[in-house]
Amino acid sequence: MIFPAEDVIVDSPRATPLYAAAASASEANIWTSVNGWSLARVFTSVEKEYHAAKNSAAIADLGALSRWAVRGPEAAQFLSRITTAPAPRLGVGESARGLILDGDGGVLDLAEVSRLSDDLFLLTTPTAHARRLQLGARGVDALGEDICEAVAAIGVFGPRASEVLSAAGMKMPGEDVAASAVVRGVETAARPIQFGALPGVELIFPAADALTIWERLVRRGKAGPIGLDAMEILRIESGAPRPGVDFVAADHPGTTTRRTPAEIGLPHLAPLDRGWYNGRRGLRYVATRPERRLVTLSVDDERSMPGAAVYAGGKPVGRITSCAWSPAIKRVVAFADVARPVGAKDYEIAVPAPGEGRVAAKLYETPESALAKAFREAQDAVGNAR
Amino acid sequence: MSDVQDKPGGGRIEGGIDAIVIGADAEGLTAAAYLGRAGYNTILLEAGVEIGGAVCARELSPGLSYVDGEHLISILDPAVIADLDLYRHGVSYAARCLDTAYFFEDGKTLQLGGDLQMAAAAFDDEEAGSAFQKFITDVFEAAAFCRPGFETAAPASDIEKAMRAAPRSLAARLNFFSLAPAQEVLDAYLPDGCLKTALLCEAGFRSAAAPHEPFSFMTLLRRWAGEIAGLQGACAYPQGGAVAVVTALRRAAQAAKVDIRAATGVASILIEQDHAAGVELEGGGQIRAPIIVAAGAARRVFMEMIGAANIDIGFQRAITAAQPQLASGHLHLSLKGVARDEKTRGHMNRRLVYAPPREALRRAFADARAGRVPDDLMIEAVFPDVLDEETGGDRMQLLSAIAHPLPFDENPNADRRAEIEKTILANIEKFAPDIEDRIKERALRLASDIAKSTSALAQDYAAPPSIIEQVALARVAGSAGYVSGLYFCGREARIGAGISCAAGRMAAKAALYEAKRGGRAA
Repeated sequence: MIFPAEDVIVDSPRATPLYAAAASASEANIWTSVNGWSLARVFTSVEKEYHAAKNSAAIADLGALSRWAVRGPEAAQFLSRITTAPAPRLGVGESARGLILDGDGGVLDLAEVSRLSDDLFLLTTPTAHARRLQLGARGVDALGEDICEAVAAIGVFGPRASEVLSAAGMKMPGEDVAASAVVRGVETAARPIQFGALPGVELIFPAADALTIWERLVRRGKAGPIGLDAMEILRIESGAPRPGVDFVAADHPGTTTRRTPAEIGLPHLAPLDRGWYNGRRGLRYVATRPERRLVTLSVDDERSMPGAAVYAGGKPVGRITSCAWSPAIKRVVAFADVARPVGAKDYEIAVPAPGEGRVAAKLYETPESALAKAFREAQDAVGNAR
Repeated sequence: MSDVQDKPGGGRIEGGIDAIVIGADAEGLTAAAYLGRAGYNTILLEAGVEIGGAVCARELSPGLSYVDGEHLISILDPAVIADLDLYRHGVSYAARCLDTAYFFEDGKTLQLGGDLQMAAAAFDDEEAGSAFQKFITDVFEAAAFCRPGFETAAPASDIEKAMRAAPRSLAARLNFFSLAPAQEVLDAYLPDGCLKTALLCEAGFRSAAAPHEPFSFMTLLRRWAGEIAGLQGACAYPQGGAVAVVTALRRAAQAAKVDIRAATGVASILIEQDHAAGVELEGGGQIRAPIIVAAGAARRVFMEMIGAANIDIGFQRAITAAQPQLASGHLHLSLKGVARDEKTRGHMNRRLVYAPPREALRRAFADARAGRVPDDLMIEAVFPDVLDEETGGDRMQLLSAIAHPLPFDENPNADRRAEIEKTILANIEKFAPDIEDRIKERALRLASDIAKSTSALAQDYAAPPSIIEQVALARVAGSAGYVSGLYFCGREARIGAGISCAAGRMAAKAALYEAKRGGRAA
């Protein structure tokens, strides 16, 4: 699950249940706020945290995300109405990603749905959608409860994630299913998540026991904390667009940049043949003709920055929405929002340099863009077969 | 002819049908007649036993019947009359251009001719006459300009385009008329006096928007956008009452070979791959057709027949957001004795309106919204058997009155009903003194009563919101939730109070256009 854009103005951000632990671990003491919650941007150094997550294991405070417990005989139908995730098809313990769309098929947010029992689901979204959930529950026998204040959540990422959990006393029954266990007397739920290409596990437990679990993971599991800045590099490398940064929610006040799933590079999360969901009828009219496209580019120049113009064939076609230096490929990886009809593979990025001030950029395949490509090819194959 | 097969699990599957219309009120009959005339094999399904929806004749006392639902027509779509040849199917006017007599609290009266454009000439006060003439000229021009927008909820871009194309003075006036409270518009045009009070009353009549509230002038603009037999802003009493219009629509539908089935309720609308595919009947069985036109209330059609889990959240919100607060009440009285002399009958041969003063009207809306029965009510009354002599009795006379504004009550108890009846009678007494002594039978018809007799919800017969809100709602409801092959002409797709049939015509036209373009009809 991806964090939304950082808050522009928040007078006094709230403390997550893990704030005290994060504050004591933070050497850099650089903070920001997301959804009104305080989060550490850096604990020690961005590079160190990045490499820990890539090669070992890192733990992150995920308390700023919005979480809802959805109960009721029609909870699955409710979630498949609200999100594009195939909730009715999930077995107990399984999770699925999806999108939240408006009536015209514009993307509002990302979503992740986990089935905890037959009639209990967990819905996680980057931003809060209380009003939408309230409206969507009308006429459906399901009840949603906002559990953000009641629970704490820790993400454990990296190849050693399961080792860390084992050391802390929790064993996952399988790689793809959620589980629950008692860790030092605390009822804890764990569900597999992916942060881009990184495998991970999210632990959810009562807010009052937040520090107990954090300490357990740090001491027994030998996992270090990871801040938002290092996670941002991992996110861009994985090709996961960030709400509020790489695209603006379709219902954002004053927005004129409505984006469809295909336009933000996530068509595979809202297939038109997945059954009914809110916005599918509207999407049917616009899905086949995306006007924009969110692409990932690799740029051989460190001066690239968000907002920089992107050129193709000598003409401006878009702009960079977010970028980061990737230690893995030793280049800048950037998201760029470009005009769809161009369809170019080679781009140029404007940089603050003398002369033309442009550097070459190439399309860069991420795990997410590979999924989207495979989905499009499958759709084309089905279309051709018909 | 339809094809019939047995359905697994009981019932029958009926195929070979081109279109199904759900709900046999005036709009449903109109849609069915249009589809039938276009050569489509059409079935009209009505859950109740009566065809015509709320508009039907009911007996008040032996030999004396009243028309439930509506008693006058003013916004009946002229295109429907022409296209369906309703005159040939029995529509004729007993009173084509009704004069109106207004009564006021201070005992004054005002008579306004049915032809409003000529009415100014009859004014004794020259200043008031010329002010009224200018007012009517300006308003009629604006109303005629707006008429296409009232027939169908045109997209906002079309309205903006039309406004841009309008002459600058007309565009400015339209802007003023559409935004301003009726009170403000009337203050700008007319001197204080009876005429202003009368028109203020007209602007608030049968609407949930009080005349002092923004957008309320549109109610009057909507009414005066209608025309009866080519006369703009007129009111008419059809021969046989408003029920004759419904009867003519039924004949038109039958002449177009529409299969009308009463007592056939629809349990659900079948949607397959986002296309309407037919209906599941309450008694079991399916009828399959590529075109479905629904004339019922949006809540029933979309929330019950399709299901909340299959419609978009924004659409659901739009059709369920409005909570009615106001309603009108209908009171039908059978009166002992029949007026015989020509002078009295001449007075009765009008539309009679009691118009409370401005402050009383403001208080009435506030009281009704707070759930109280107001002391002062606007009353519109007619003597149907005087207007239409063929229906008159020998010993008794019928008075049909509509009172507004009343609090909306889903299930009023006997005390509330008695209170409402007493208040309406008290207001009728203001222009017909001692009428209570002549009453033999009475029938109070509130929104809940009309709903019960048509198996609808009481809120379907509540006072409609302001015209602006109706246009916005009609635009959403008219999209029918983007279900391909489904067209909606229920209450939420209509603009203005009274029998119009424009929504039914537009739904059928849209269905025919889509079918022609996509060739989806069977």
